[in-house]
Amino acid sequence: MSTIHLQQLVKRFGPFTALKTMDLTIADGEFVALLGPSGCGKSTTMNMIAGMERPSEGRILFDGRDMAGVPMGRRGVGFVFQNYAIFTHLTVGQNLAYGLRATRRPVDEVNRRVSAMADLLQLTTMLDRPSAGLSVNILQRVAIGRSAVMEPSIFLLDEPLSNVDAAFRTVMRTELKALQRQFRQTMVYVTHDQLEAMTMADRIAVMDHGVLQQVGTPLEIYNDPDNLFVARFIGSPGMNLLQGQPVETATGLALDLGPLGQTPPLSAPQVAALRQAKADVVYGFRPELVALVPEGQGMAMPITFVERIGARTILHLGQGSASAKVVLENDAGLQTGQILHFAPLAHAVRLFEAASGIALKGA
Amino acid sequence: MAEIAFYNVTKRYGDTVAVDNASFTVADNEFFCFFGPPLSGKSTILRLILGLEKPDVGEILIDGKVVNAVSPAQRNIAMVFQNLALFPHMSAADNIRFPLIERNEASAIIEARLKDAAEKLHIVHILHKMPGQLSGGERQRVAIARALVRDPAAYLMDDPISALDARLREETRVELKRIQREAGRTLIYVTHDQEEAMSVADRMAILEHGVIRQVGTPVEIYDNPATTYVARFLGSPTMNILPVQRVGEGYEAASGALRIQSQTVAGATELGLRPEDLRVQPFAGKGSPATVAEVEPLGGYTVVTLTAGDVSLHAMVRGQPDLRVGVQVTLSCDPAKVIYFGASGTTLPRMRGVAQ
Amino acid sequence: MKDDGAKLGFRLTLPAQVLVLFISVFPLLMQLYISLTDWSPLAGTSWTQAWAMWNTFANYIDLIYDHRLWSALGRTALVIGVCVPVEFLLGLGLATLFMDDFPGKRAAYSILIMPMMVVPAVAGYMFFMLFQSGGPINDILSNLIGHPITVAWLSDPNLALLAVMVADIWQWTPLMFLILLAGLAGVPEDQIRAATLLGAGPVQRFVTIVLPRMKTIIGIALAIRVIECFKIFDTLFIMTGGGPGVATETISVYIYKIATQDLIWGYVAAIALAILIVLSIACVWALKRMART
Repeated sequence: MSTIHLQQLVKRFGPFTALKTMDLTIADGEFVALLGPSGCGKSTTMNMIAGMERPSEGRILFDGRDMAGVPMGRRGVGFVFQNYAIFTHLTVGQNLAYGLRATRRPVDEVNRRVSAMADLLQLTTMLDRPSAGLSVNILQRVAIGRSAVMEPSIFLLDEPLSNVDAAFRTVMRTELKALQRQFRQTMVYVTHDQLEAMTMADRIAVMDHGVLQQVGTPLEIYNDPDNLFVARFIGSPGMNLLQGQPVETATGLALDLGPLGQTPPLSAPQVAALRQAKADVVYGFRPELVALVPEGQGMAMPITFVERIGARTILHLGQGSASAKVVLENDAGLQTGQILHFAPLAHAVRLFEAASGIALKGA
Repeated sequence: MAEIAFYNVTKRYGDTVAVDNASFTVADNEFFCFFGPPLSGKSTILRLILGLEKPDVGEILIDGKVVNAVSPAQRNIAMVFQNLALFPHMSAADNIRFPLIERNEASAIIEARLKDAAEKLHIVHILHKMPGQLSGGERQRVAIARALVRDPAAYLMDDPISALDARLREETRVELKRIQREAGRTLIYVTHDQEEAMSVADRMAILEHGVIRQVGTPVEIYDNPATTYVARFLGSPTMNILPVQRVGEGYEAASGALRIQSQTVAGATELGLRPEDLRVQPFAGKGSPATVAEVEPLGGYTVVTLTAGDVSLHAMVRGQPDLRVGVQVTLSCDPAKVIYFGASGTTLPRMRGVAQ
Repeated sequence: MKDDGAKLGFRLTLPAQVLVLFISVFPLLMQLYISLTDWSPLAGTSWTQAWAMWNTFANYIDLIYDHRLWSALGRTALVIGVCVPVEFLLGLGLATLFMDDFPGKRAAYSILIMPMMVVPAVAGYMFFMLFQSGGPINDILSNLIGHPITVAWLSDPNLALLAVMVADIWQWTPLMFLILLAGLAGVPEDQIRAATLLGAGPVQRFVTIVLPRMKTIIGIALAIRVIECFKIFDTLFIMTGGGPGVATETISVYIYKIATQDLIWGYVAAIALAILIVLSIACVWALKRMART
């Protein structure tokens, strides 16, 4: 059980700054995902928490205790590697017992705790098996069990599902989440897959180019992204973002999207925020939060591509340099080349300042 | 131009049957996808088409001609490997030129083909770079361009984009489909990502232990799976497949939490219902409730895991419903969406149910 | 189909196979033939006529009672028993050192592997001079101790073998170092980190993770050095010529001496063949053991 404080954390590798001044507090027992594309600094952050890398500046506190100078073996941190780093020359049981034996616990305690852990993870029948050649879901359990048996107060997971077949990832996700419930430890999870972060984490910290972009619950981040990067990165597909200029219309202030026509009128708080901004604006809406409207109303864009994925249909729309996507549950036989008439749901519209990319949130 | 067909092809490695009596036809210009779990025979089928393996039984036809004895080089089929296999010491342009230089093409032809492929793939601006300087997505396009310039009769791709980030994969699969349409060639594709398979494929084949279980368009297979295996394998979250009992005028599943008005379906032992077809409503106090066990918000959708009796069900609910773990709910569905399975796991003819 | 391919392959490689067979098998057969005779180059007949001096297994019976042979074998075993473990431990220590970064690593690396590249005969001369009574080693020892000493390294029967072993260790530790460094670099970093995070100290990490993962490469390194050390000759011969007396006479030196001085080639062939057979059996046994683990 531990709270993690990252204070003004900076990491430089030579002239390259991998992490720029990160502040983050992770509560006791919380499951936080560090989410971002490769090279965003998420793994560097994780490695510093584990003690594998030393911060260039700033502090890392566990329960208020500064971790500077505490070697990685003494931090009480469990770490699950991307490739699981299973000791393949040992059996499953020897892997589970490794930490306890390394710290010279009495034999009967080792046996008791290993068999309890094996019970919990349903590995009892495999204890004597060599760990080389086991399937990934068992390897994942061994990797987690090997750390969990040490009863660490903090669990760090470095993209543990990235080597897993897509078909199997759903199963593993469920299993991982169930394990977190059982252990109730503080968990930090690094991933580049927004779906993993959304489905598992209590809170998500979105990162890009070494900068923390936004921290919040999955729905906070999905519904109210702080900037264009987060808007684009979260969601599958990401948020539609169209350049526009404010125009007065008969029904109120709207945005002129150039060849795409005008948006429906904006809501009162958005109008207020827009009047302050006085600049080019990006009009954002979720592909799922769209209504089909009769011709002449709303926006019109030609369909360039239709992706039917099970129950969902993703319509790719494009006109000139502008593109958008719309997700429908029932595509009504729409085909490439047809014009789609649609309007974003009023409550789902988000505005961003074009120059800075920052969200214009109603005052 | 290539139509590729298998007639009763079997391939064994020692005692294991890698491909078991497979028959299928990939039409000219079709984007055909093989989809199955690891070791289900996908890669063996590709190797058989390429000519790297010879079938033990059966015939492989390209454009109606039996090619069992034709060497790989003479089949004119290009392969894009999983690891892309670009030459690291050559620029992107030289990598793409390579197969043409090997065939001693005239340099004017080489340059014209290079330009054409580079434009199709939007990689003109990166041709001078070395593979090490390219991003994963760019490397993948260079590898495809290298296959494209050969102007083969058909392309084979073995999970070519599995190494990319999730977001990049979503964009690249659409690109792939566009390229295939523009190039107008048969493309046979192997993947283990079902979203990818459904997105790109004109038709697909579902494999299990070397046996082709079903061939059809993604929508056909998704809506009308032939067996419980296919039903479970396609769709995320997976289809709810529950034992059913005949009760009164209909069927009951999940300890009575799910009731369907329906005529008798002879031999029905299980029902199948897609998570998006399962309706979740506040518990009305009537009938048996289900309990919310897990809520996974995806933003536009929410995946709800429910328990009723000793079974667990998934529902995919539009939007962000206010459901909490532990809450009791009432389940319902459109009887027309229900599929019935017999004891052997095969789908029974669908009955038009009566809406409740 | 596949069988046709295999047959074709066999036919295409047949000439090469015959050639290889001839090169490797012919000398062995010739040696076997001579080892069953009393033939000597002084006999006045060609070796093809050696059958005239046929003695069946007399040579092989003789070698059982050859004390000089057995003591040469024992000495060789002693050299192996001392040199190989010392080279292994030194090489492992250096390799471990080189897994971390330190200033001047590249230069140190170059200097370290240099002895390996010195021609063994030249190395022999170097150590021959170093170990002279008035040579640098005695000078250095004198300075260290504080009063002049003159140890007769190469002419003292008790010290000569030690000097020879020092030379061998100097020359062949770098090879051990190189092989073991490659082995160490092959141990996945994540495994070591995982062990560290689980609370294992450096010694535990080495014993429980690094060593088991290097088993194969250690086996190969030891096998190479044992075989090479068994054949130790050039450095030693130049330093001591096998002397004083027979104090540094290893098996190779012994064979050389009886072949060039006593000229009893039938007997030499018998010894060489016997050793070959014993070594082959030992090698096969060791390889099988390695394959099992």
